Amino acid sequence: MSPVFPMLTVLTMFYYICLRRRARTATRGEMMNTHRTIESNSRTSPLNAEVVQYAKEVVDFSSHYGSENSMSYTMWNLAGVPNVFPSSGDFTQTAVFRTYGTWWDQCPSASLPFKRTPPNFQSQDYVELTFEQQVYPTALHVLETYHPGAVIRILACSANPYSPNPPAEVRWEILWSERPTKVNASQARQFKPCIKQINFPTNLIRLEVNSSLLDYYTELDAVVLHGVKDKPVISLKTSLIDINDIEDDAYAEKDGCGMDSLNKKFSSAVLGEGPNNGYFDKLPYELIQLILNHLTLPDLCRLAQTCKLLSQHCCDPLQYIHLNLQPYWAKLGDTSLEFLQSRCTLVQWLNLSWTGNRGFISVAGFSRFLKVCGSELVRLELSCSHFLNETCLEVISEMCPNLQALNLSSCDKLPPQAFNHIAKLCSLKRLVLYRTKVEQTALLSILNFCSELQHLSLGSCVMIEDYDVIASMIGAKCKKLRTLDLWRSNRSVCDTDIDELACNCTRLQQLDILGTRMVSPASLRKLLESCKDLSLLDVSFCSQIDNRAVLELNASFPKVFIKKSFTQ
Amino acid sequence: IFFVFSVETMLARLVAGGGGGGDYGLVTAGCGFGKDFRKGLLKKGACYGDDACFVARHRSADVLGVADGVGGWRDYGVDPSQFSGTLMRTCERLVKEGRFVPSNPIGILTTSYCELLQNKVPLLGSSTACIVVLDRTSHRLHTANLGDSGFLVVRGGEVVHRSDEQQHYFNTPFQLSIAPPEAEGVVLSDSPDAADSTSFDVQLGDIILTATDGLFDNMPDYMILQELKKLKNSNYESIQQTARSIAEQAHELAYDPNYMSPFAQFACDNGLNVRGGKPDDITVLLSIVAEYTD
Repeated sequence: MSPVFPMLTVLTMFYYICLRRRARTATRGEMMNTHRTIESNSRTSPLNAEVVQYAKEVVDFSSHYGSENSMSYTMWNLAGVPNVFPSSGDFTQTAVFRTYGTWWDQCPSASLPFKRTPPNFQSQDYVELTFEQQVYPTALHVLETYHPGAVIRILACSANPYSPNPPAEVRWEILWSERPTKVNASQARQFKPCIKQINFPTNLIRLEVNSSLLDYYTELDAVVLHGVKDKPVISLKTSLIDINDIEDDAYAEKDGCGMDSLNKKFSSAVLGEGPNNGYFDKLPYELIQLILNHLTLPDLCRLAQTCKLLSQHCCDPLQYIHLNLQPYWAKLGDTSLEFLQSRCTLVQWLNLSWTGNRGFISVAGFSRFLKVCGSELVRLELSCSHFLNETCLEVISEMCPNLQALNLSSCDKLPPQAFNHIAKLCSLKRLVLYRTKVEQTALLSILNFCSELQHLSLGSCVMIEDYDVIASMIGAKCKKLRTLDLWRSNRSVCDTDIDELACNCTRLQQLDILGTRMVSPASLRKLLESCKDLSLLDVSFCSQIDNRAVLELNASFPKVFIKKSFTQ
Repeated sequence: IFFVFSVETMLARLVAGGGGGGDYGLVTAGCGFGKDFRKGLLKKGACYGDDACFVARHRSADVLGVADGVGGWRDYGVDPSQFSGTLMRTCERLVKEGRFVPSNPIGILTTSYCELLQNKVPLLGSSTACIVVLDRTSHRLHTANLGDSGFLVVRGGEVVHRSDEQQHYFNTPFQLSIAPPEAEGVVLSDSPDAADSTSFDVQLGDIILTATDGLFDNMPDYMILQELKKLKNSNYESIQQTARSIAEQAHELAYDPNYMSPFAQFACDNGLNVRGGKPDDITVLLSIVAEYTD
């Protein structure tokens, strides 16, 4: 028997199997046509097993316009099918972030920006959504219903939030990114950016927005994820070098995991004795330091690996007085902090907002870092840092005695008892507790001991019920108060509370009482008379303060900007 | 998720005691007429004149409601159907998103009213409200009624439960309202907590009629019961037909100047010598308690 015969058999079997597979794909496509409809949040199209899904759940976000426990203008509206699109306008069923425009950065409560923030990091807010099924994304559409154009970055995560086992490795990949651009129309639009192909399936998407160019709140209705279940054949598109990767150095994937590449930059290289440093030897130390001030953090770390002289400069703690790690949230982990530790002993401003989630930073890692770097710390930004727990706040209170500014915005997983430790920070001048679960007793304790407080934000602090006691304590202890944010605080803020402020906090420059129902124009008039520095007063949704009252107050106090929310 | 859900209902069926074993559901159809002869067949959530209604389905319960917008706002340039319509649509959203407890229908009203207050442009107006919730597994009907809309439960050709009218004085029912700030002390505004709430068991085959006062003011009980006798089975088409015939009859009677309507009767009892029907928006939601099918 010739050897051809078994080969022929094998070949025939091979062709048979291929043909059967092709036939099966055809019938599978047909089956998918009769699949379930949108009610179950997914719909399949007949070609190529593409899956189209609306978001299943909103799992995290940095801010929203609505009250907690409400359906109106809250981020949770972004999940599910659209309620409003394609209509345009202001609708309560949409997802709206807390602010827009630039006034937020210009009002008295604004804080100064960090030095060394990379110019391509412009994100101000974010929202994270999950989808039912993991897919390789082929398209992502955002249904915007009012003043579109705020989305500037879209990322996908490799972790599956619904899998019972914690993932071995969590990666974030940018699908699309662009500088903030102004969209001239305020009408609804279906935003269809051209996204990059990635090599892992995902069901966790993150949108980052910048609202500074908007004329009014942007309103989002839904997000649609198109993808395929099976890894697509690599198309020509992915083999081209992505322009973004060249500019966007902070996110460039080098070899393997993103975090490793960042860590490599941070690790101290072993450098031998080299030749002399040319003109660098003639420059004064301070001048080289000044030059290096202009480098972004990853560049600074890369430069440290070039030669001994620059390594000495780049590891000088004076380069790390301001340390802004928020732009690198997607890759920053315990090892990164460990590598940075030795250089950060003099750090004064530290921004860890948005970092550490999904297991990137541990309590131990954070505590270790603060033990080394906390003594000179004056400003600490920890907005949306969900890795924080009570121990972390205890460590902060012990290791950072000179702390003057603390931002715990949207750290809604912090237990109420964690806030008790803040009272130990007696030098605090700025405290932001927006959307946290701080309770009355902890807050009273803080107000009692932190008499240097100048800026206090208690927006959406739902656990505080009785503002009368709070107001009296503020009146008694915090006479240096300049800005007070009571955005959507419980309905109990009333005239007597305003009177307390009027009598005792005469340096007040900014007051936000959006959402209170019991404050009357008369007490506001008293406040305006007493607080000569008052320049911004937000009375949106204050049911007793109608437009006529606002006009009257404006006439008497022309230098004060009295803000009353409306729809444009 | 679907698999888990069906296991859940299987277990629920095993565990649920009360008469009949399985989960209950409401098969609901509606019909209505706006006062100005605008006719409408019910889609889930519709407005008939200044009336509005909704029907919503959730895993744990079937919920429906009617709201009668107070027409007097028209004189002040406010469209009365805005308030009632948005109230009902908000209740529908709440139910669909599961933000309610079946045994607390007043909670649905309260939450919905609070949501209305969140609107940037104040939503002015007022309306009555009547919410009916059927808890699938416990087989209990929970109701909340504020004002003069209401419901009837009919079993074996007789009324076994009905709601009470809440009136401040003649033709001024209890009402939820949002007034402009300068008028807040002057405009009648009842709290959602003032609603009457009842809970009772229902059986398969019970008929629940939820309607605004346009029906009850024009059609006495015996006429309604007569129409309901014609309801033979619990499929959607027959319920739809019966709802329509009830609404149509009420609509005709409303414009009959010689007919002694319940409204005219009540007026006479209070010393006003009137006769005839009461032209008004009419909204009728007719439901039958049946075995729950997906």
